[in-house]
Amino acid sequence: MSFVDILIGIFDGFGVTASVTLWGMAYAVPFALVFGILQHFTTGPVRFAVTSIIEFWRSSPVIVLLFVFYYTLPTIGITLSGITVAAMALGLNIGGYGSQAVRAALQSLDPGQVEAGKALGLRRIQILMLIELPQAFKAMTPTFINQFIQLIKGTALVSLITLTDMTFRAKEISQLQYDPVGTYTALLVAYFIVCYPATIFGRWVEKRVAISERTQGEI
Amino acid sequence: MQVDALIGSRCASQRSEAAVDIVSLNKWYGTFHVLRDVDLRVEPGQQIVICGPSGSGKSTLIRCINQLERHQRGQIFIHGCEVSPKTRALHELRRDVGMVFQHFNLFPHLTVLQNCTLALRRARGIARQEAEDVARHYLERVRIPEQMGKYPSQLSGGQQQRVAIARALCMRPKVMLFDEPTSALDPEMINEVLDVMIELARDGMTMLCVTHEMGFARKVADSIVFMDGGRIVEQAPPLEFFANPQNERTRTFLGQIL
Ligand SMILES: Nc1ncnc2c1ncn2[C@@H]1O[C@H](COP(=O)(O)OP(=O)(O)OP(=O)(O)O)[C@@H](O)[C@H]1O
Ligand SMILES: [Mg+2]
Repeated sequence: MSFVDILIGIFDGFGVTASVTLWGMAYAVPFALVFGILQHFTTGPVRFAVTSIIEFWRSSPVIVLLFVFYYTLPTIGITLSGITVAAMALGLNIGGYGSQAVRAALQSLDPGQVEAGKALGLRRIQILMLIELPQAFKAMTPTFINQFIQLIKGTALVSLITLTDMTFRAKEISQLQYDPVGTYTALLVAYFIVCYPATIFGRWVEKRVAISERTQGEI
Repeated sequence: MQVDALIGSRCASQRSEAAVDIVSLNKWYGTFHVLRDVDLRVEPGQQIVICGPSGSGKSTLIRCINQLERHQRGQIFIHGCEVSPKTRALHELRRDVGMVFQHFNLFPHLTVLQNCTLALRRARGIARQEAEDVARHYLERVRIPEQMGKYPSQLSGGQQQRVAIARALCMRPKVMLFDEPTSALDPEMINEVLDVMIELARDGMTMLCVTHEMGFARKVADSIVFMDGGRIVEQAPPLEFFANPQNERTRTFLGQIL
């Protein structure tokens, strides 16, 4: 099998890698937004609860989360598809990190912004949606893109719960061909092909944010 | 007026005809007693200037009026409506009270025009076209004619503060609060902002203004309030206030700033 053949064989698993990534984002982004905002607004015991949930997802090893959800949930009668388990475990883990970017972005805003919104008679939720979040998004975007790339790379773990992603395919091929060096080099190239465009895109967005910050600037 | 009738019917405690009525107001930050038995009455159409040394509680006092700060004791009425930490629809009350901040606090992600229309559309529910007409009107009044599509950071400090005044005026407030509106400005920009405020005063806007611009105070104020240590130490019309200050601390203060 030539290097290109191996690469093509590995890309058989691209569909799974891509769907785990995209479904993972579908968990990560809402989780990051909701919990980041909740952490920003709450105090006392509620904040403690919110923080605990974030820390649970953020601080647990993803591989352990994967195993726990894949192998133990069925024993209590909950059977989720491999993709769902993978997207949830990876997505909420990344989302836990993302929530900190959301909270930090909200907290770094000038409190005068909220005061101006209040003084104009806007409701608190309107101030969040119309004034705080649009400004915070700019600060959050680069982090989110970085985490998207982290997520792509993190999907390599799902081969351990028998999903045929790119890494799983590489394992299969290497066992058939007795060529671990060639196969895993091809796998490295495969992830590079997938991640590099995302990195370029991330840099482009970061630049755009920096430019619009320069023209719109501080208050 | 219709609006007054509305407010009258909404307010449980219809107390007085004053635009702003502050009755033995007390506020603490933790154990620090920042406002002590403050009484202040502002009639509709009056302009009151508040001055005093740094830390005397001037900002805290006017920020209590629209409840950006909560007070613990005493009462505040705006056109007969009590505002307190317990007030339910604070956001509705605040629509009638404009505020201009020392650091402008314009929304940097919105254009000048959007800064002015945001609350009209979202808080007052006015259609976009109409809101933009209102905004244009007030932006012309503060002499920002050609800058409506720009972002705040593209304007000078004086221009930004005038936009901030226009933004507040768009809501057609009954009272305007100013917290040192010119003290963050370069000297050459102070007058363009003061001129706008003088015009506003001449048009009969009810104004409460924290400032150390004594020339402005002399020109427009019906009454000057001097605060020190969280109390109103002296209150008098400008002529009397400058010519014959009663209190020792007022004299010291005037000696320092004039
Ligand atoms: N959030 C806060 N927590 C605790 N203390 C505060 C807070 N805000 C203000 N203070 C204190 O309350 C006092 C009055 O503050 P305030 O800002 O009202 O004074 P000011 O008269 O506006 O002064 P300046 O001329 O410097 O603006 C000051 O001693 C200040 O340190
Ligand atoms: Mg102050």
